[in-house]
Amino acid sequence: MDPFEMQDNSKNSNKPKYSKFTQQELPACKPLLTPAIVISAFLLVGIIFIPVGLASLSASQEIVELIDRYDTTCVPMADKVGYIQDSKTDKSCIRTLTVPKHMKSPIQIYYQIGDFYQNHRRYVKSRSDKQLRYKNAAHFTKDCEPEGYTADGVPIVPCGLIAWSLFNDTYTISVNKKAIGVNKKDIAWQSDKNKKFGSDVYPRNFQNGNLIGGAKLNESIPLSEQEDLIVWMRTAALPTFRKLYGRIETDIMANDQLTVVIQNNYNTYSFGGSKALVLSTTSWIGGKNNFIGVAYLIVGGLCLFLALVFVVLYMFKPRNLGDLSFLSWNRNTLDCPN
Amino acid sequence: MKRLVYINDDSRRYSYCDNRISNTKYTLWNFFPKNLWEQFRRFMNQYFLLIACLQLWSRITPVSPVTTWGPLIIIFIVSASKEAWDDYNRYLSDKKANERNVWVVKDGVRRQIKAQDIHVGDIVCLHENDEIPCDLVLIGTSDPQGICYIETSALDGETDLKTRIVPPISANMSVEQLEKVKGIVECPNPDNDIRRFDANMRLFLPSVDNEKCPLTINNTLLQSCYLRYTEWACGVAVYTGNETKSGMSRGTAEPKLTAADAMIDKLTIAIFMLQIVVVLVLGYFGNIWKHTKGLKQWYLMYPAEGPWYGFLVIPLRFELLCSIMIPISIKVTLDLAKGVYAKFIDWDEQMFDWETNTPAHSANTAISEDLGQVEYILSDKTGTLTENRMIFKRCCINNIMYGNDNGDALKDARLLNAVSSNDPDIVKFLMVMALCNTVVPVKSNDDTVSYKAQSQDEEALVNAASNLNMMLISKDSSTAEICFNESKFKYELLDVLEFTSDRKRMSVVVKEGQTGKILLLSKGADEAILPRVYPGQQKQRYLEAVEMYSQLGLRTLCLGWRDLEEDEYKEWSKNFQEASCSLENRESKIAEVCDSLERDLHILGVTAIEDRLQDGVPETIKLLRNAGINVWMLTGDKQNTAIQIGRLCNLITSEPNSQLLSISGKTEQDILRSLERALLITKNTCETKDLAFVLDGWALEILQKHSKESFTRLAMLSKTAICCRMTPLQKAQLVAILKSVGYLTLAIGDGGNDVRMIQEANIGVGISGREGLQAARAADYSIGKFKFLKRLILIHGRYSYNRTAFISQYSFYKSLLICFIQILFAFLSGFSGTSLFNSISLMAYNVFYTSLPVMTIIFDKDISETTVLQYPQILLHSQAGRLLNPTTFCGWFGRSLYHALVIFFITICAYADEKSEMQELSMVALSGCIWLQAFVVMMDSNSFTSPQIILIWGNFVAFYMINLILSAVPSLQLYTIMFRLCGQPSYWITMALTVAVAMGPVMAFRYFRNLYWPSPINILQQIEQSNGSIQPSRNVESALKPARTNLTNLLTGTRGSRGSSYQPLLSDSAESTR
Repeated sequence: MDPFEMQDNSKNSNKPKYSKFTQQELPACKPLLTPAIVISAFLLVGIIFIPVGLASLSASQEIVELIDRYDTTCVPMADKVGYIQDSKTDKSCIRTLTVPKHMKSPIQIYYQIGDFYQNHRRYVKSRSDKQLRYKNAAHFTKDCEPEGYTADGVPIVPCGLIAWSLFNDTYTISVNKKAIGVNKKDIAWQSDKNKKFGSDVYPRNFQNGNLIGGAKLNESIPLSEQEDLIVWMRTAALPTFRKLYGRIETDIMANDQLTVVIQNNYNTYSFGGSKALVLSTTSWIGGKNNFIGVAYLIVGGLCLFLALVFVVLYMFKPRNLGDLSFLSWNRNTLDCPN
Repeated sequence: MKRLVYINDDSRRYSYCDNRISNTKYTLWNFFPKNLWEQFRRFMNQYFLLIACLQLWSRITPVSPVTTWGPLIIIFIVSASKEAWDDYNRYLSDKKANERNVWVVKDGVRRQIKAQDIHVGDIVCLHENDEIPCDLVLIGTSDPQGICYIETSALDGETDLKTRIVPPISANMSVEQLEKVKGIVECPNPDNDIRRFDANMRLFLPSVDNEKCPLTINNTLLQSCYLRYTEWACGVAVYTGNETKSGMSRGTAEPKLTAADAMIDKLTIAIFMLQIVVVLVLGYFGNIWKHTKGLKQWYLMYPAEGPWYGFLVIPLRFELLCSIMIPISIKVTLDLAKGVYAKFIDWDEQMFDWETNTPAHSANTAISEDLGQVEYILSDKTGTLTENRMIFKRCCINNIMYGNDNGDALKDARLLNAVSSNDPDIVKFLMVMALCNTVVPVKSNDDTVSYKAQSQDEEALVNAASNLNMMLISKDSSTAEICFNESKFKYELLDVLEFTSDRKRMSVVVKEGQTGKILLLSKGADEAILPRVYPGQQKQRYLEAVEMYSQLGLRTLCLGWRDLEEDEYKEWSKNFQEASCSLENRESKIAEVCDSLERDLHILGVTAIEDRLQDGVPETIKLLRNAGINVWMLTGDKQNTAIQIGRLCNLITSEPNSQLLSISGKTEQDILRSLERALLITKNTCETKDLAFVLDGWALEILQKHSKESFTRLAMLSKTAICCRMTPLQKAQLVAILKSVGYLTLAIGDGGNDVRMIQEANIGVGISGREGLQAARAADYSIGKFKFLKRLILIHGRYSYNRTAFISQYSFYKSLLICFIQILFAFLSGFSGTSLFNSISLMAYNVFYTSLPVMTIIFDKDISETTVLQYPQILLHSQAGRLLNPTTFCGWFGRSLYHALVIFFITICAYADEKSEMQELSMVALSGCIWLQAFVVMMDSNSFTSPQIILIWGNFVAFYMINLILSAVPSLQLYTIMFRLCGQPSYWITMALTVAVAMGPVMAFRYFRNLYWPSPINILQQIEQSNGSIQPSRNVESALKPARTNLTNLLTGTRGSRGSSYQPLLSDSAESTR
């Protein structure tokens, strides 16, 4: 409304309606960074963080983790790449490990790969979620290039670089020379099995080309049951990552001898990557990771230290807040221009 | 070029447009393309369109094109709907005006039609209080004398009534004749000059008089005026629709860019440069990685031979990834915030003027920040600093000064005695006061007479005359009746020689009813009247009186008269008629003719009129000067009056502390020499002393011509200046001089003569005062009183600046934050241009997740209004641009880099190994951003009101709600991710760690700075806190004294301190203080 129009109409006042909102007079609290508030804030953070850090650290420390990097020993020194690419040689390799501490079931078996860029743009895009989910969507291979079609032009199911490069090392584990079962059920997310991978979609034309990437799939099992594939297709964000291989559902005692027969098939040699086998127990915090615990302790400690420094500073160099005598920003002398 | 209007001729009525008014910018059909075109003229939008188009190329796009198209389209829709809504409202009001019913004569029959169907040449009949639908030439009224009254306030804002006269050629026609009249009006093509209509008219049958009759603006009824006190009037439509004078004067003003906007643009360009560098570096690394490592990664299946443009793919991909560095939403967010600032001004109860019932209004919603950075105020005097309510105070008649003792001549017994004794000089003096004017007496029902006048001075004179028993009883176009001591006298009004600002005088020629003597009565400025006296008259005494009165700050007018011989008058009258009829150069010709008559005058005396200062002006000016704003007064008035007013309103202080430097002289050399001297003194005087220079219009003209540079230097050094005898153009020139050296200027005025300066200045403020609304309409802000300026600047301007400074820098912060994380991720993903975040998150981040909390800053107040008004010096802080400059921006930049590092490293360390699933990890990083931005807004808000808290934490909750909902949709990548994360204790622990590590150092740094290197704002906040809310109570006052002196020292050291305490980081930052 144009206020000018109403000018003469003096019966209708043009006075703006009063409300706390329009007058910007809403009640407000104005916390200041006073010594009391800041010191107690840092104290509080310190007091909370240190126990949480201790709890996290002890949880992490309780986890028993066994890491065995096998890629260097399970291959002849000369011509690693030629060895791994030769499909005829028997690539089994036996590793013996000693368990340092009692490991409570369930024990997770991971394979850890280093310097493998699952997060590379070329790689991460090369999949077709539609095809994985729906039976009739096999031709949705647009994003899968260069692994979309076979040489004959038939769509590959599952298509794309991710599926094609499926990890294919296998582990057979025995404790004290006695073979134990590795449970490979339910290693993938339930939600993936139910909603992302179709139970009526079967692998077709997979790994049929000249270039074999990784593992082959059993064409009679639907994708939703191909848990190794499902796990693999949850791409990792970091170049070094672990993926669940299976579980051991019995406890392993301390000093037990573990013998692992590894089929060393997967080629990490051409790009200088690493491979390792990891056995780990679990706790509420997840896998073994001291980072959070240590970080909490450091942050908590620093906070307490800062709080202390503030207190000391405040005692030795007290500053009255709002004391006008130290308007230091006003110290510059007044010069005559020029 | 001429336009021929055939009156009442159906065959020719369609040669011009109809009377459909259209103020709309768009039509239904051109809205879409035109609006798109307008929006794409902005560089930012072009940039984002380019990015969006690049994203369509699936080979290079790291994320779905939705991430840019989505926000871009939303932003377009928001801006377009705002435009559409405004335009629709304009359409509605146009429609209302167009469909109004009016009476016209068609084929000799009166008919009622819609206003939009009027055509040029139609005869339109109006009744009392009707709004005039188009520009008409008056041909008949109900008044036997052929006059009618109109109110032109909608056109020029002047609230007094104006008389309009039927041209003699059609006078005395009966209603029947009028309905059948035919003829031709010859008039200029449509223009926007509402004071000029140089045309003539010829009527055919049944009129016998077939001569050309001149028409002036006084014979017209212009569109959007109202007919008053006249039963009916009818006229010929000459201009219709958008071709009317009011239609032509509507124009869209050039959008103004604020200093803060300019700074934001600069920062945007800097960020853009950074982006290019980042893209080139990462692109280079990317190509290196691809050739050294990428080809060995067999699972990537890099083809041995790529396309020829292969080397471009990775840089372009990074360009797209980094495009979020420039916040796409900043323009919309700022526009919204600015809209709210403007609303706060409109709503402000304390800027409501009870007397005139006017609230403050901000017509320009985009420049509130500039108010907080004003460095120069250029103020008009009359009506702006003063009330423009003229009161007759003193006079000097026949060498006797009346009103010396009590300051009011109307109560001076000597004058009253002289009046009752019929002193002939006094009677003549009063007669000139009563007759020599354009005042319209309006009789009300109870027979009292009130006066409607265009000029406040005239009204004061007529009122004073009637107080001294010389009453103007009635007046029409040809006669006037006055009543002196109970006896009535009739005068025939022969001619009015109108007032113009060049002539500075006006005269009337009257014929005494009884004696038949012809008299010329004149009044005007002393320098316009005194040189025209008959040879031999004593002027000395009058000069002294003028001098003395203006010393007192009074406005003076000289009155004079002379007898005219019958022959002399007749001869002159003929020339005058001729000049009045001329189509070209009419004004100068008339002036020339008038000049020949106004000579050999007998001086009767001098009147002195007081124009009181407006309420609160001295305090306001003092406050503004304390706030470091330099106030200049530009006036058309005399030097002495101006200086006096300057003293009264604290513009210049008394002698020991200040010095007036006058730049004047009789010759050009004198003036230039006085300028050099003034410059020398100014340079060598310590800044504690107030220096003011005084110059007049003539001196300015000389300086403009010969010594513009030295004058500019003087202008930069002087805090105060009084410039008198300024023409409207010169006022604008002064503004331009200050603007040219980079100062932010605010011009405030109330009259039509201030319009040019108001439009020229960075900020124009109009006082919606008694001289009409012309200035207020041209201005960016209109206020009722000068004293509201302090609230406008110190409260609204300052808060707006602070808020915009935060909003803009924060927008960059949040965009940089997410962009840095993407860049860091590139180091872990083989420089392949993978986006860590998924498309939905990226799109929602800018548009939803981060836009609401930042808007809460529009409620933020760093220190309370009372504190600001108590320590106006704090304005220096925003004036110098301390809150938005490259240095502060570097702070924000550093903070976003630090926060990005914190989020990224904590995320990849906490979610390493078996947890490093892409979707989860990206969601952890995104949550980290959301947590941090909520805490950053909290940390940087100074006050928390309920909407702020609700918006900040509501947004936080909304983030989780949205993502939980998205996590329930199986087809999305996000499916179940958020549910999984929320169930993990380690997720929450990670968030807390992120916040602590990111905010801890910021808080510690803040604390140290507040305690040991506090900014003035910090100190005032602390004072506020320690005293509760600051009320100017006595004990607080005494406690605050040291602060005052310190702050005053700061003020006086303004110029010096700007350089020394503000250390720019970038080379161009010196500009930032501007």
